[in-house]
Amino acid sequence: MFEYFNQPEVIKTIVTIGSMALFFVGLFGLLTQKHIIKIFISIAIMEVSLFLLFIGLMYEQSFLAPILQNPDANFTNMNDPIPHAMILTAIVIGMAVLALGVSFAIEYYKLTGKTNIDEMNEMRH
Amino acid sequence: MSFKRDVPTSTMSGFALSAVLVLTFLNILLQNIPSKINTAGDALLQLNASQGVANAVTTVVVYFRGFDTLGEIAVLFIAALGIGLMLSKNKHCDIKAESNFMLQTASRLLFPIIMLFGIYVMVYGHLSPGGGFQGGVIVASAVLLLLISHKDFEVPHSVIVMLETFAGVSYVLIGLIGLLVLDKFLGNFLPNDISNMGLLMSGGIIPIIYIIVGIKVGSEMSIIVQNLLKRSENV
Repeated sequence: MFEYFNQPEVIKTIVTIGSMALFFVGLFGLLTQKHIIKIFISIAIMEVSLFLLFIGLMYEQSFLAPILQNPDANFTNMNDPIPHAMILTAIVIGMAVLALGVSFAIEYYKLTGKTNIDEMNEMRH
Repeated sequence: MSFKRDVPTSTMSGFALSAVLVLTFLNILLQNIPSKINTAGDALLQLNASQGVANAVTTVVVYFRGFDTLGEIAVLFIAALGIGLMLSKNKHCDIKAESNFMLQTASRLLFPIIMLFGIYVMVYGHLSPGGGFQGGVIVASAVLLLLISHKDFEVPHSVIVMLETFAGVSYVLIGLIGLLVLDKFLGNFLPNDISNMGLLMSGGIIPIIYIIVGIKVGSEMSIIVQNLLKRSENV
């Protein structure tokens, strides 16, 4: 019954649709929420959906993690290491950007007491 | 009691706009689903054996993309610097709530274990899943446990500065030594024989660089966590 889901095209379609659903959740929060911390959370959710998309698209059924067990083995039937390395970079950069943004929000709240982005209009007048 | 009156217009329009954008992405992505992707990864997996490192992801991060990792660490350093400039003028939290006895005792018990696990993940990054970034974040989580459980605990600033400077300078120095010896920035000038694969002392400079990355990430994450926990008196 479940052999249909083991085909690579079906797995990748499911991964794509699921990660885009998560991306939709983040984008909807980004467009409609007014609290600045909620906006940062939405951006983090969108980031996580893209990590899932990249890792899931390179997933191969019956392939191994790219780690050798002994020197005699060779790298056959192993997953591509490049998406993992790229996503490792992206996670670290996303974390740094998120922490910097949250620190800006904290400092802004201390100065003005505002968290709603509609009221952040000091530069206008 | 109609649907349109209950839901605000901004919610409806935001829903519609994000649905259109996501469906566009989905349409583009679903048209190009390949069954098997032949990319540079297979070539890199063949090249990977020349460095004698068991974990191919570590080889890609530290050796083939070593210069990018140096830039990534620079980005992390700039973020930590910005957070420090923003928040470090506040006094250390005076109004932090007193943690209870169980958390204090358990944190004293758990801190060495989490620290040891973080250092293990850091040192064995070329043999098993893990590496400098993951191990550094685990070490920072141990520091966070101490920060939330002990009221008067503070990360010693001079130690952080020393560790961070040591890590950054030695990363660049190892790259420059590789440039002198092998005419290649971050060249692998230490013995990296394939027959040693799987041992702790294998892979030449790759485990050393990942430990350096771990030290840098751990100290920077600790200082970021400490700065974010600080509060000023007037809030």
